[in-house]
Amino acid sequence: MAGLANERARVLSNEEVGPGLHVLSLESPGIAGSIRPGQFVHMRIPSLESHVLRRPFSVYAHDADAGILDILYQEVGSVTKLMPHMSDGFVELIGPVGNTWNSAARRALIVGGGVGAAPLFMLTEQLVASGSAVDVVLGAQTEKALVCRERYERLLGRNPECATDDGTYGRAGFCTSLVEERLREGTFGDGGPYEYVAVCGPVPLMRIVAGLAADAGVPCEVSMEKRMACGVGACLSCVVDTVDGKRRSCVDGPIFDAQEVVW
Amino acid sequence: MNGDTVFTAMTPAQTSVSMSVDLGGLSMKNPVTVASGTFAAGREYSDFVDVAALGAVTTKGVSLHGWEGNASPRIAETPSGMLNSIGLQNPGVNHLIEHELPWLRQVGATTIVNVSGHSFDEYVNVIEALEATDLVDAYEINISCPNVDAGGMTIGTDPKSVEQVVALCRKATKRPMIVKLTPNVTDITEIARAAEASGADALSLINTLLGMAIDVRTRRPQLARGVGGLSGPAVKPVALRLVWETHKAVSVPLLGMGGISNGTDAVEFMLAGATAVAVGTANFTNPFATVEVIDGIAEYCETYGVKDVNELIGALEW
Repeated sequence: MAGLANERARVLSNEEVGPGLHVLSLESPGIAGSIRPGQFVHMRIPSLESHVLRRPFSVYAHDADAGILDILYQEVGSVTKLMPHMSDGFVELIGPVGNTWNSAARRALIVGGGVGAAPLFMLTEQLVASGSAVDVVLGAQTEKALVCRERYERLLGRNPECATDDGTYGRAGFCTSLVEERLREGTFGDGGPYEYVAVCGPVPLMRIVAGLAADAGVPCEVSMEKRMACGVGACLSCVVDTVDGKRRSCVDGPIFDAQEVVW
Repeated sequence: MNGDTVFTAMTPAQTSVSMSVDLGGLSMKNPVTVASGTFAAGREYSDFVDVAALGAVTTKGVSLHGWEGNASPRIAETPSGMLNSIGLQNPGVNHLIEHELPWLRQVGATTIVNVSGHSFDEYVNVIEALEATDLVDAYEINISCPNVDAGGMTIGTDPKSVEQVVALCRKATKRPMIVKLTPNVTDITEIARAAEASGADALSLINTLLGMAIDVRTRRPQLARGVGGLSGPAVKPVALRLVWETHKAVSVPLLGMGGISNGTDAVEFMLAGATAVAVGTANFTNPFATVEVIDGIAEYCETYGVKDVNELIGALEW
């Protein structure tokens, strides 16, 4: 079977890192030891009993040796608005759920919009570790919301290309124009053509980047998030429309070939 | 997986209580199954619970050639509950026969297959396909799904059509046949009596309550279909009342469900008249819920000196 566990995870810290943005650190040695880039956890918060549904969270970073997972979350709904109050105690995590990014490319372009930058970080680490040329484009509403930029900068040894909607950091406007330029010019390193684009963020961003990659003839993967109930593949709540019909974003995804998604 | 941790599926604790029940000819090792549609065909939950240790696994509703289901969003959380409008997405009965039911047999699970259709003929055709196998222990006839335009609840709200479809299904099989009722009627006992008179061996209730949720920012329904079925702890008092009313109205055994999350909830349903119970939405919150409900029933019996779980059925004192 899929090898899923339900792990009781201790809250280590829960810090605000930007406007409505927080990093939750959890002690979860089983999942931290086995999770692969792109996979996620399905979280139950025992103190919020009237919320019968768990919430899926992508994993921002993991330390397998220390058994720690970092989750970047944004206050958007009834549960995430209550989460900043968690300072200690335990949550339950089903995980690691889902498939993983294709990490075999030697020249990769990573595109993260908003909190979509987080689930791409482990992939970027893996690509960098394997010696691939990796360029990163990040977009956010405003400078203070570019909360992943510094981690990417440390990993890459240079600043990722950034765009903000309000122009407070990097290029003003959507990050898609940066993606267009990168695909036209090739990698920073040697100008060679990209073999792979990975994108996560709002659906319109993913759709546009998928189209740009297709025009450039570069394979592209996207990470789809849908409202989810079981998180194990049973309930068919989280289906994504694909050329092969409706597929479960939890266990058939969350990573899909962008060409297979019916946008 | 590349993790070192070995995960073991949960099994019920040992108990001195006699836990087996007979649900209209279906022999169950304990009174706990799952609500159709919350558990697929068991495999997805086998990392968490030993599905062979459940009284039965009830599979996701199956139609003849498969259905695509409804558009997304298909679910919305509501206070202590959720709405769903999956729309019986399934790959068809042959896929179930070839890929899912053999696995349930192989692991030793007791299998209830939930049968759906857009027409009377389709229900019969699905049963006929399954009759050709030895992979089914009982059927649950779904005349109560609120999320499809034809079949489902449109059949289950009219006593005449209930009689017709149940009688047709009855002719197609000698296996135990459970008929699943909708709560979205004025008088459920009228529907229950129609199903009993037409050959149902047992009745299951409740399917979900038709409900709605609205996103005020967009002024649009939260579900793509507009409406959907409400489940979870929020519906439990309604479900319990309907089980109790139905228990007084018919003599066939009942499979009670609606918001059952723990052993205490299950005992309430049995006291109200259920012979067995199903765990649904609670699986999503807690993937161990089924086994915890079995253990909770046994603990209750041990605490109150109940030697056989059958002593609980309809034992409401009032």
